[in-house]
Amino acid sequence: MCDVATVQKIANCLGVKPGKVQLNEEQVVTRTSAQNKTVAGFATILESLARESKSETAQNSTASREVQAQVYQWIEFAVLYVSPGSKDKHVAKQLLNDFNKLFINKSYLVGHFITLADLAVYYAIYDLVKSLSPLDKENYLNLSRWFDHLQQRPDIHQGEQLLNFTTIYLHNWAQGTHV
Amino acid sequence: MSTGTLYTYPENFRAYKALIAAQYSGAKVKVAENFTFGETNKSEQFLKKFPSGKVPAFETADGKYLSESNAIAYFLATEQLRGGKCPFVQAQVQQWISFADNEIVPVSCAWVFPLLGILPQQKNSTAKQDAELVLQQLNKKLIDATYLAGERITLADIVVFSSLLHLFESVLEPSVRSAYPSLTRWFLTILNQPQVQAVLKDYKLCEKALVFDPKKYAEFQAKNKTGAAAQPAKPKEEKKPKEKKEPAPKKEKEPAEELDAADEALALEPKSKDPFDSLPKGTFNFDDFKRVYSNEEEAKSIPYFFEKFDAENYSIWLGEYKYNEELSKVFMSCNLITGMFQRLDKMRKQAFASVCLFGEDNNSTISGIWVWRGQELAFPLSPDWQIDYEVYDWKKLDAKSEETKKLVTQYFSWAGADKEGRKFNQGKIFK
Repeated sequence: MCDVATVQKIANCLGVKPGKVQLNEEQVVTRTSAQNKTVAGFATILESLARESKSETAQNSTASREVQAQVYQWIEFAVLYVSPGSKDKHVAKQLLNDFNKLFINKSYLVGHFITLADLAVYYAIYDLVKSLSPLDKENYLNLSRWFDHLQQRPDIHQGEQLLNFTTIYLHNWAQGTHV
Repeated sequence: MSTGTLYTYPENFRAYKALIAAQYSGAKVKVAENFTFGETNKSEQFLKKFPSGKVPAFETADGKYLSESNAIAYFLATEQLRGGKCPFVQAQVQQWISFADNEIVPVSCAWVFPLLGILPQQKNSTAKQDAELVLQQLNKKLIDATYLAGERITLADIVVFSSLLHLFESVLEPSVRSAYPSLTRWFLTILNQPQVQAVLKDYKLCEKALVFDPKKYAEFQAKNKTGAAAQPAKPKEEKKPKEKKEPAPKKEKEPAEELDAADEALALEPKSKDPFDSLPKGTFNFDDFKRVYSNEEEAKSIPYFFEKFDAENYSIWLGEYKYNEELSKVFMSCNLITGMFQRLDKMRKQAFASVCLFGEDNNSTISGIWVWRGQELAFPLSPDWQIDYEVYDWKKLDAKSEETKKLVTQYFSWAGADKEGRKFNQGKIFK
């Protein structure tokens, strides 16, 4: 997921020109900005994007040093675990469970507002969520709520087809399964 | 950008709606200084601007006047808070604002205000159960929605949030909150928005639910009366009873709970009608009899019963369990009886019963003497009461006959044996 396309998408979310994004010879993603400065590595690139952006999301992500550190932690987590992990059936299940639990009492990953952490994890877990059957989504109600909330925002879905979460009220007759 | 002056007493949850909305839009709102509830808003000058004399009330910099908290919040909000460009989301915002006013505020007042000593405790109040229903609805909505309307914070969230502040502060202690995880998640998200934090600086979630303290209410009433006589109700004076419990930050708390007439009416409105209301009210007073029965020997209370009993409007019944042969352990049979009593809870006011278990394990019978208002079987009056009564055979007794007197005496004094001679084992009183 630490690929070129994701960086471009997140740059769009933040309303920043992505500049030249490519993989270098060691397959590490790099970004060359309009000022001709090159940074390498997913987390570093995201940080540079946030610094250039005036968007609400970027501001939220740098609200305090504590928030900044937590955001950084989630970005690393997305790169190191979410992205590779979602390709393995067993690890993926664990990931979904963990996120679902986390979102029982949180609306967003960091603080109480949308940050880069949400964006990074959103794009990292997108394919996995897309592969879920409606019944699976029932089992991850809290994760589904968070995901659906993000995908509804035009700056985030960026014209991609929205995943369907409408069967979610099936839980009316399957009460208790989501806890 | 709008500017103006907001009139309110401190920590008024209705004023919070406007103040939070203003934080989002950046509107400059000055809270009127030297506002004294009951004085400022009753002054001629104030009434000329705001005929209702209610707060919060808003005066724009160019001399226009707005009352009603939701309208003020709407005026001060941004387009996004009003629901954005989509008419459907705008309508949803209105829907939740009405929900807050019609569903949340009445039950919240009815539950919390008696605990704060502002209203008398209602006997058999259903406020708590009513509030639980509303909270369940909200929790359900928020399982799969981050915010109430659309995908952004709107006035719907701000208004519903403000209406829930009392509940989350006074009665929803952690163990109770845990029944509403999604609602709590949403509440915390709203509470921790920087714009909300800027308005609610010292707000703390409930650690331990308040319990009713009759002394507090008496003190509040006393203060209120003297205050009203000397100078028109000055809420500042009502601070004292609370301060004992909640120190510094809560100081200005009392005026916030000052009810306006509408709230008071809402809070006092009975939530569900008593099904017995349709029947004529006789002279027999259940409360009096129950008091005598609990405090006196049967030798006194049973004659008292027959002396006061009003056979015209009340009736005595013998209820016998149909499936005695299925009864096994005594404690299980007792649970059967108390379970039925619990399900008939709302009948208590207009009924009395003594139900006895005769015999021992695997050889026992249940039967009881029931008294209630009306001449017919009372259970069909309410759908809530129809769970158990069909497993009993009901026989109406002639209140005048000697036989009935004997039966009543036996059951009320928990003595004797059933028809087959099984000895009295345990009795339960429904009162």
